[in-house]
Amino acid sequence: MAVAAAHAGAVGHHDHIHPEPEGFVAKYIFSLDAKVIGVQYMIAGLLFFIISGLLAEVVRIQLLTPGGAILKNDAYNGVYSLHASGMVWMVVIPMMTGGFGNYVMPLMIGARDVAFPWLNLTAFWMFPVAGVILFSSFLIGAPDAGWTEYPPISVQGPPGTTMWCIAIFLIGISSTLTGINFMVTIFKMRAPGMTFTRMPLFVWAQLATAMLNMIATTALAGALLALFLERVFDVPFYDPARGGSPLLWQHMFWFYSHPAVYIMILPAFGIISEVFPTFARKPIFGYKMIAFSSIAIALLGFMVWAHHMFTSGMAPWLQLPFMILTMVIAVPTGIKIFSWLATLWGGKIDFQPAMLFALGFLVVFTFGGITGIFLSAVPVDLHEHGTYFVVAHIHYVLFGGSIFGAFAGVYYWWPKMTGRMLDRKLGVWHFWTTFLSFNVTFLPMHWLGLLGMPRRVAQYRPEFQFWNDVCSIASFVLAASTLILFYNLATSLIRGKRAPANPWHARTLEWTVSSPPPYYNFKTIPAVLKNPYNFGEPLPYIGLTLAEEEEDRLPKPGPAVPAHS
Amino acid sequence: MAVSALNTSHEAVAARYQNVDGAYAEQRDMRLMGFVLFLISDVVLFSAFIFAYLYLRNSVPNWPPINKDGVQLPRFDVAFAAINSCVLFGSGATMHFAMENWKHLNKAAFNMWMLATIVLGMTFLGGQAYEYHSVQVTWSGSTMGATFFTLTGMHGFHVLVGVIYLIVLYIQANRGVYTGSKYFGLTAGTLYWHFVDVIWVALFYLFYLM
Amino acid sequence: MAATLERGVALILALIVGGTTSFQLYKDWSSTGLDNQVTKLLLGLMAFGCVLVVLAAVGVLGGG
Repeated sequence: MAVAAAHAGAVGHHDHIHPEPEGFVAKYIFSLDAKVIGVQYMIAGLLFFIISGLLAEVVRIQLLTPGGAILKNDAYNGVYSLHASGMVWMVVIPMMTGGFGNYVMPLMIGARDVAFPWLNLTAFWMFPVAGVILFSSFLIGAPDAGWTEYPPISVQGPPGTTMWCIAIFLIGISSTLTGINFMVTIFKMRAPGMTFTRMPLFVWAQLATAMLNMIATTALAGALLALFLERVFDVPFYDPARGGSPLLWQHMFWFYSHPAVYIMILPAFGIISEVFPTFARKPIFGYKMIAFSSIAIALLGFMVWAHHMFTSGMAPWLQLPFMILTMVIAVPTGIKIFSWLATLWGGKIDFQPAMLFALGFLVVFTFGGITGIFLSAVPVDLHEHGTYFVVAHIHYVLFGGSIFGAFAGVYYWWPKMTGRMLDRKLGVWHFWTTFLSFNVTFLPMHWLGLLGMPRRVAQYRPEFQFWNDVCSIASFVLAASTLILFYNLATSLIRGKRAPANPWHARTLEWTVSSPPPYYNFKTIPAVLKNPYNFGEPLPYIGLTLAEEEEDRLPKPGPAVPAHS
Repeated sequence: MAVSALNTSHEAVAARYQNVDGAYAEQRDMRLMGFVLFLISDVVLFSAFIFAYLYLRNSVPNWPPINKDGVQLPRFDVAFAAINSCVLFGSGATMHFAMENWKHLNKAAFNMWMLATIVLGMTFLGGQAYEYHSVQVTWSGSTMGATFFTLTGMHGFHVLVGVIYLIVLYIQANRGVYTGSKYFGLTAGTLYWHFVDVIWVALFYLFYLM
Repeated sequence: MAATLERGVALILALIVGGTTSFQLYKDWSSTGLDNQVTKLLLGLMAFGCVLVVLAAVGVLGGG
C-alpha cells in the first residue's frame, strides 16, 4: 500500500534521530527539544499565574469596602493593569501555545520536534525576560491604564508604562515566531498519511491559533512602537493637539487584541475536543465541522475588533457592521458547542478530573459566550461598556474557558509529561471547589454591572458592597482551591503512581509512546490511515514501535458505542 | 544524476535544484515557507503603520497639516525621492541578476552584481539621510512628520539590515558555503531584498504622490 | 531647472529599471516553486513602482 511504502522508505530530515544532548544545561536549560521547551513555558507560565492571581486577590481585598481601605488609587490602578496584562500575555497565551502546543502538537502529528528548534528556544527565552520586565514596572511606577492602556492616559502615565510597552513587544515577537514555527511544523512535518482531515482536533486548533499569532501580533507591535515613540521621543500619533488621535490606538490595539482572545481560547477548544471523545468513549461528533469552525473563528476574529469601541466616539455607521459580524462569530462557536454535546450524548462517561473540567468548561464558557452576545448588541453595550458586566463576561470566557481548558489539559497530559499519575480524588476536590467558587465569584459581577458599577474603580457606591463582598470572599476560596492542584502536582512528582503509556486508552499518537516520551518521540515515524477518533476500531497507525507493556492494554476491537457519522 | 558542472542551461539549473538529497529538499522547503511567513508578518507591521498614516491623514481637514508651531507644512518634493526610488528598484534588478548568475554558476558575475546591489542599497540609505536632512517636517512637530519618519525610518532600518545581510551572504558565498544546488541563504536574501523594495513602492506612493 | 533635471534623470532611470524588471519577469514567467512565485510577484510590484516613478516624473501624479 502506498502509505506503507512511504513509511518503509521514509526519508527526510524528520526521520533521523539525533544523538541525545549531554549535560544538564543542554538537556534542561537551553534544550532544543520542544517537549522540554514546552515544560519550561508551563513552569514560567505557572509562576506568572501565581503572581497575576495574587494581584487579583489584592483587587478583591481592596473592593471589600466601598471606601477601598488598603491602596491609594494610583497603586490600585497598577495592580489591576498588571493582573490583566500578566494573565493575558504572560500566562494564557504562552501556556496555551508555547506550553501545550510545543509539548503535545509534534507528538500528535508524528514528528520528532518542531520545524525550527533554535527559533523555538529563542522565542521561549524572550518570555520569562518579558515577564520580569513587565512585573518590574511596579518598582518605577506600574502602568495604570488597564491592560488596554488607552492614550492619553497611557502617554502621560507612570514610567512603568514604557516598560509595559517593551515587555509586551518582546512577548509579541516571541508569539509571532512561535506562530510561524507551528504553521510550518503542521504544514510540513505531519506523519505520512496524515492528511489535514486525519489530524487531531488539537492540532487544528493550534494551526488556527498559529495563523492568528503570526498575523495579528505584528499589528500590536505597531501600536506599541507608536506609544513608545510618543512617550519617549514625543512623536505625535495619539496627541490631538498635533493632529493625532486616541482612537488610532484603539483601532490598532483592538485589531490585535480581539484575535488575541481567540488565540487564548482556540487551544482550549482543542483540548476539550480531545478530552471529550476520550472520556465519553465515543468518536467526536462533527469532526470536520469542528476543524473548519476553528479556521472560521480565526478568520472572523479579524473582522470584529471595533465591538470594543462602540462607545468610543468612532463613526456611528461602523457600529452596525461590527455588531452583525460579532454575532456571526457565535455561529462557528455554537457549532462546536453542539458538536461537543452530541459527542457526550449516548457516551459512557468516565468522570476523571480532566473530563470534569471539560464539562465545567462547557457550562461556564457557554454562559460567557452568551453574555458576549449581549454585549455585541450595540444598545446593550452602550450601557454595559466599562462596567462589571464586561468584567464578568471576560472572566467567564477567560477563566471559565481558557483556564478550565488548561486545567483539563493538565489533568489529561500530566501522566504523559511526567510519567506519574495525579491523585483522582484531589482532582475531583479541585474541580468542585474551583467550579463553585468561580461561579460565586463572577456571577454577581453581572448584576453589579447592570446596576451600574464601573470597572477599574478603587472605590464604589455603598449599595454595591454586599455583592462585592460575596465576590471577594468567593475569590479567596477560588485562590485557595488552586492550592489543591499545586499540592496534587507536587505529591505526584514525589510519590505519584507510575503512569503507563496510555492511562486513558486514548487514540492520538502521543499515547503510543512511553510516559514520558523518549527525547526523539518515536523510534519509527508511523503512517496514519484514519482520523484517531473511531473508538472500538484498531488504532489507525502502521509501523508503530509500541512500548512493550502497552501491547495488551490498547483498546481492543469489539463492541463499543456506535459512531455517529 | 551527475550533471555536468559546466552545463549552465536553464534545464541544468532546474536539474541541480531538484536533484538534492531528500533531507535537504525538505529542510529547504520548510525554511522557505518559514521565511515567507516571516515576510508576511513584516508586511502586517508596515500595514499597521500605513493604516495609522491614512487614518491620521483623513482625520484632519487639510493635508499637509499645520505643525505645532503654526507653520503650514509643504508637500514632500517628489523629484529627489523619485531618483532614490530608482536606485532602490535598480538594486532589486541587480540582485535578480546576481541570483541568475549564481544559479548558472557564473561566480564572477554573481560577485559583480552582488556588489552592485550592496552599493546601490547603501546609496539609497545615503539618499534617505539627505532627504531627512532637507525636509521641513520634524518628527515631533506634526503627525505628518511622525508618520513620515517612523515609516521611512522603519523601512530604512530594514534596508540597513538587508545590506548587512547581503554583505554576509557575499562573504559566505565566496567562502564556498553555497553550491550550485544548495543556496537557501541566497534565496532568502533575494526575497528579503525584493520585499524591502516593494515596501518602498508603497511608501513612495503614500508620502510623495498621494 | 534643477527640478526638471532631477525629474528627467528619474524618468530615464525608471524606464531603464522598469524595463529590465519587466523583461526579467517575462523571461521567468513559467518558473515553478514557492521561491520563484514570490520573486515573480515582487518583481511585478517593483515594475509597478517604476511606473509610479515615471508618472511622478512627468507630473501626472504627485501634486505637480
